[in-house]
Amino acid sequence: MSTQSIPPSTRAVRAIEEASIAPAPSPLKVVLRVASTVWSNGKARIGIIILGLMILIAVFAPLLAPYGARQNGFDRSADASAAHWLGTTAAGEDVLSQLIWGAQISIFVGLVAGLLSTVIAVLVGLSWGYVRGFGADVINFIVNLFLVIPGLPLMIVIAAYLSGGGIGMIIVVVVITGWAWGARVLRSQTQSLRSRDFVTAAVFSGERPFRIVFREILPNMTSLIVGNFFGAATAAILAEAGLEYLGLGDTTVVSWGTMLFWAQNSNALLTGQWALLFAPGLCIALLATSLTLINFGVDGISNPRLREGSKR
Amino acid sequence: MTTLLEITDLSVDYGEGAGSTHAVNHVSFALEHGEFVGLVGESGSGKSTLGFAVTGLSKPPAHVVGGSILLDGIDIASLSQGDLREQRHGGVAMVLQSGMNALNPVRSIRNHFVDIFRAHGHIDRADWSSRAEELAAKVELPSSVLDRYPGELSGGMRQRVSIALALSLEPKLMVFDEPTTALDVLVQHAVMDTIIELQKKENFTALLISHDLGIVLESAERVLVMHEGEIVEDAPSRQILENPRDDYTRMLLSHYADPRAEVVELPGFEARTPTVSSRTRRQDQKAIVVDHVSKVYPAPRRGEPQVTAVDDVSFTLEPGQSLALVGASGSGKSTLAKLITAVEKPSAGSVRFGDLDVGALRRGQFRQLHRDVQMVFQDPYAALNPLHTVEYTLTRPVVNFTGLKGLDARRRVLELLDTVGLSPVEEFAAKLPHQLSGGQRQRVVIARALASNPQVIIADEPVSMLDVSLRAGVLALLEDLREQWGVSLLYITHDLLSARVVTDNIMVLNGGRVVERGNTAEVLRNPSDEYTIRLLDAIPNPGRRDVA
Repeated sequence: MSTQSIPPSTRAVRAIEEASIAPAPSPLKVVLRVASTVWSNGKARIGIIILGLMILIAVFAPLLAPYGARQNGFDRSADASAAHWLGTTAAGEDVLSQLIWGAQISIFVGLVAGLLSTVIAVLVGLSWGYVRGFGADVINFIVNLFLVIPGLPLMIVIAAYLSGGGIGMIIVVVVITGWAWGARVLRSQTQSLRSRDFVTAAVFSGERPFRIVFREILPNMTSLIVGNFFGAATAAILAEAGLEYLGLGDTTVVSWGTMLFWAQNSNALLTGQWALLFAPGLCIALLATSLTLINFGVDGISNPRLREGSKR
Repeated sequence: MTTLLEITDLSVDYGEGAGSTHAVNHVSFALEHGEFVGLVGESGSGKSTLGFAVTGLSKPPAHVVGGSILLDGIDIASLSQGDLREQRHGGVAMVLQSGMNALNPVRSIRNHFVDIFRAHGHIDRADWSSRAEELAAKVELPSSVLDRYPGELSGGMRQRVSIALALSLEPKLMVFDEPTTALDVLVQHAVMDTIIELQKKENFTALLISHDLGIVLESAERVLVMHEGEIVEDAPSRQILENPRDDYTRMLLSHYADPRAEVVELPGFEARTPTVSSRTRRQDQKAIVVDHVSKVYPAPRRGEPQVTAVDDVSFTLEPGQSLALVGASGSGKSTLAKLITAVEKPSAGSVRFGDLDVGALRRGQFRQLHRDVQMVFQDPYAALNPLHTVEYTLTRPVVNFTGLKGLDARRRVLELLDTVGLSPVEEFAAKLPHQLSGGQRQRVVIARALASNPQVIIADEPVSMLDVSLRAGVLALLEDLREQWGVSLLYITHDLLSARVVTDNIMVLNGGRVVERGNTAEVLRNPSDEYTIRLLDAIPNPGRRDVA
């Protein structure tokens, strides 16, 4: 972090004299230290392992999946067997293969939508926390608007309006409905940081507001932002599954949400095909859980008291 | 007298294994029944760690690694949590520095007492009320306080409540950890008086932990001086004052002087004559003119009157002048600093710097003012962004105000570090704030204020957060800068001693009004206003008390 925060001009000078200067902690070291803090938390470690496995499965889906995602023609609604470990769907597709391919969509949507809503939350939250007066009131009104409207109905309305857009549409819907809470939290932290002496000192150093917000305040709330990202990603995964389950997504794409949609449509519960319903549901729950578990470790970065092993 | 507390060969470590630090190192001492003993040391000396160990309140990562703490023959270090809780009645109690914040804001003061009575069951339910009133009376609080909430009480009253709470279990030993440090100067004095009175009346044993040798010498019969985890001197107060044996004790003592004396000498300020005007004036330096300025804040709650923080104040800070702005907290001195630096706008009157109307500046025009008027903050720990290197922190104002770039800017940064005495400069430039001591941080803050080559520096209590031994260095630096660079200095403080050594003129503020002004030495030696006299009396003075 330190190298990045020095103006480019001085960085060149520093490179020349690097040998004579005692090195400040390099960005790599900072990242490693943060990573080891998160890893040292037992819950976070479990979360990282689960998330890591899921990402590996999604990346290597072409190698791991026994069949194609939409490859049909097997027995319809078959029970588990050696050829089809989790049975087949009503359309004659392999459930295990769909589960493995479906991981790609869920993780992709979760990470991208989580990232986008965090970016919006950071931009809105920080500027909202720093400005005063009329501007702040306007942002306050807009954010409150998004906070009071119930999330799911708003999602459904927007999704119905943008119907037929596929994954991109789902990401847009999730981002529109998901940024406001993060913005509110980041705004509170910005307001508390902006009254610190070092921010006043930056004003005395002749810094412009934009630079104060993004170079002085933002780096001091990294862990909050990372925590917000994992929270937003969890919400995005759940929202994506929910929208697709309601049939508001592109039902031809194979994801855990559409698997649930088709299982419901083919009355999987009545036909006794538990795996069809439970497997994607469990995967969604597991993915969301892993992100939440990682957040326990992220809390420990900013607040040493929450680190495990330190009693009281 | 018999021995109450006996500590033998006590060591306390932070952390475990190779990364551990020894906070308390093989310390031995004993306290007699009814004794008032002071424990003095600078930050990091291990005095609070020792206090927590004595009360059995050590928290991880701190842990006792050796030695014994015998209270009436019972080893506290080996007690379980449950036994320790039992022992609190009639055993050890502690009053913390932040004790005033230890009260639960949503419970009334009476409930705080009731909690303790209920937990220990040593008082009949019928007597709870009368006992609580009795305890409040002991710390000179009216019984009406019991029905108030902590938020309705002042800092001094809350600290008195926490002392009364500590007393409610009739402890044999009271440990006071910096009980008055967070309080205002005038209140500090009153609370200390209460503690001393109380100790005489109740006859408990008191251990007063403080960084301020003055306060300790005024109240304690015996003083333990702690330095780097070890007790370097253990002697009666009079002996410490008249014949200190250890070099460290002598160094601490050398930083005390009476601001009323004819000649005030501190290390680094030997034989400073009352007025110095030998500095070289810079060309076209401008004065700050404060003209009938008032600042009124809206009422904190509906129905309450408005708060007048600054009330019709006028003064001029001439080029090269050094002016002290003195007052207790709430006297409006910090608000005045904010008005001068355009952080706040005056409600009435005007602040001018040359032909610049400071009150009318908009955010975008701040650079015009801050090019010439800079500020040194009170808390060096809060005034530096923990994530930026010293070089980044100093490069920003250099780039913003002087337009230097690249190598030139870097050269200027290194020059600034050299000016404030941080060398080797290259090494310090690469450091992050947490790698620096408090004094070094404050030097970086001063270097940043100098980066734009300002005409005026406003220093808001620049040394109040620093250890005594570091204060003189920072003050000497400010004084040197003023003489060499011709910078004018507005020195805001409640510490009259430091005001005496670095300023020529003084203004005493009370309730937002100027109550006294004039030449610093003359005002302090012959104060005419009662408030000034009270401020002078509140200064702990090791030599004043008649040591028993």
